[in-house]
Amino acid sequence: MVDQLEDSVIETNYDEVIDTFDDMNLKPELLRGIYAYGFERPSAIQQRAIMPILGERDVLAQAQSGTGKTATFSISVLQKIDTSLKQCQALILAPTRELAQQIQKVVVALGDLMNVECHACIGGTLVRDDMAALQAGVHVVVGTPGRVHDMIQRRALPTDAVQMFVLDEADEMLSRGFKDQIYDIFQLLPPTAQVVLLSATMPQDVLEVTTKFMRDPIRILVKKDELTLEGIKQFYVAVEKEEWKLDTLCDLYETVTVTQAVIFCNTRRKVDWLTEQLTERDFTVSSMHGDMDQAQRDTLMHEFRTGSSRILITTDLLARGIDVQQVSLVINYDLPANRENYIHRIGRGGRFGRKGVSINFVTNDDVRMMREIEQFYNTHIEEMPMNIADLI
Amino acid sequence: MRPIILQGHERPLTQIKYNHDGDLLFSCAKDKVINVWFSHNGERLGTYEGHTGAIWTCDINKSSTLMVSGAADNTMRLWDVKTGKQLYKWEFPTAVKRVEFNEDDTRILAVTEERMGYAGTVTVFRVPISESDAAAETPLYVITTRESKATVAGWSYLSKFLFTGHEDGSVSRYDAITGEFVESKQVHNSGSTITDLQFYPDRTYFITSCKDTTAKAIDVDSFEVIKTYLTDTPLNTSSFTPVQDFVILGGGQEARDVTTTAARQGKFEARFYHAILEEELGRVKGHFGPINTIAVHPKGTGYASGGEDGYVRVHFFDKNYFDFKYTL
Repeated sequence: MVDQLEDSVIETNYDEVIDTFDDMNLKPELLRGIYAYGFERPSAIQQRAIMPILGERDVLAQAQSGTGKTATFSISVLQKIDTSLKQCQALILAPTRELAQQIQKVVVALGDLMNVECHACIGGTLVRDDMAALQAGVHVVVGTPGRVHDMIQRRALPTDAVQMFVLDEADEMLSRGFKDQIYDIFQLLPPTAQVVLLSATMPQDVLEVTTKFMRDPIRILVKKDELTLEGIKQFYVAVEKEEWKLDTLCDLYETVTVTQAVIFCNTRRKVDWLTEQLTERDFTVSSMHGDMDQAQRDTLMHEFRTGSSRILITTDLLARGIDVQQVSLVINYDLPANRENYIHRIGRGGRFGRKGVSINFVTNDDVRMMREIEQFYNTHIEEMPMNIADLI
Repeated sequence: MRPIILQGHERPLTQIKYNHDGDLLFSCAKDKVINVWFSHNGERLGTYEGHTGAIWTCDINKSSTLMVSGAADNTMRLWDVKTGKQLYKWEFPTAVKRVEFNEDDTRILAVTEERMGYAGTVTVFRVPISESDAAAETPLYVITTRESKATVAGWSYLSKFLFTGHEDGSVSRYDAITGEFVESKQVHNSGSTITDLQFYPDRTYFITSCKDTTAKAIDVDSFEVIKTYLTDTPLNTSSFTPVQDFVILGGGQEARDVTTTAARQGKFEARFYHAILEEELGRVKGHFGPINTIAVHPKGTGYASGGEDGYVRVHFFDKNYFDFKYTL
């Protein structure tokens, strides 16, 4: 039974490819928006997934980090909406506020010549501002589940015209933390709404959950041993003891600041502690986690994105989706608690068109977890060489 | 000397240019802005804002008073370099991929994209006398490219010829006065896109870079390939260095493939070749994405490169560079 389900669910069942945007029969103003954004040719996932999403069937699409998934669903959404109808026709959900804002920017940029109204509906902002924007009428809503659900419940966001429901980072969205909210929102959408799920990781238990949301989906999947990005060099440093990580990081600081880097810790408390320790030693760093207020998070994200600050210490809040052009280094100060987040974390550095380097700080207790990650993804994490500066 | 790294763009670089005197460096990127920097210390002077799409190209006139830019918003714009004010705008049906002033700064060429049913063109305009010069809106002539679209173009000495590089690896020569086709040659492998075309300062010959992994130096008068530089990676850009007889090539793996192949396959180094002997002399590492554009300081004192990684790297040649003598 389990084997049977595994075989049928996991396999890709679609392999057609369209290799230019011109050949996708997109609206002229959308096509001009795509080219104006600076895209010239579709990436692999765009060649495979845009047309099936436009074809009415539910779609489950998987692709490695940094290969163009956001543009894939953004283009599909924009192609489907009727801009003469000032009602929410597509609902896109993302697990974090920063990712929702990033997606909203891409949708607005690609839809620039279509006069599309796309609203970012996220927690931490004034409820009445969201209500006002939604009541003024929007074509697309990109949001986080909590705020979106709240807006629907308050009748500020009518869902009767929604024909597309997109879950980015779908496995995170359907995990323990978000699943109930997602299901509640799904129940409030029209039964005819198309469901589109995307992520770089699709664990088996999530694939099983998708059967509740999707009808006979088109599946475009990647084998798990093809998920790691060969474009990211993976290293470990055997620090042996937890308390030696800080000195190791300080030794690496000058190397780290040549480019932009993200440092991941597993808890908010440790993010604060590490930030404090580095600041006390006169290192310049920024940090972010979920306990900070939204204005603070926005400022930090802007500073990091524009290069005003070069090192960002954070939790898995930023492990998924965040795309900052100059990030080439990811440091796992702590190894992540689950395997999927390992792929997502190191994917902050190897984005479309750019190689990356990741460094894992490994204590004696972590060695087994690191070997498990290597084995699961069929990848290799080698010891960090002395000339690491040459690789960054 | 460690290179100066300019961080002022949030998306990939598309073209960088020094002005004629070399004291200013202009950078274009997909983030819709052009930045101008002091080339000796990397300080940013300012930003030109107004384009609504990714900017593909720019050029600066000899007196550094005017800049022309071309972008994916299907416009070419003329700017006052000093004030950043937009002086003039031309609209096209498709993106403008390459712009260039001619030698005496009286004309501008624009290479436009073949797309959405429109043929690609090389369109030549007179430089407007003033903002209200309505006649400058009309092209002097329009070259509709023949079998294969033009990707790059440039003016020869005395603006005698217009040379175009094409998507199929061919180079064409046009009479730059009338726009009439003169001849075409299959310079690179058939089916490989020519990505850059830069003239030697005296404009008697130029170098083309190509996805077929080679760069070629071509003489203007004879239209013969005089030198070939062989590499092992698709090339995006190539440039001559004055003072020392070198060429610098840049490129690397296609952006779409970078994340899913091993780090060593990127080949993002700038390559130095001896211009006469066609031998590779060295490489400069630094970018972690493909190099999209290289420009050499007009006095031959250094070069700058712009990458898919969003960085501009400005390098200064040291004494050893100028003392170098090739031993046979």
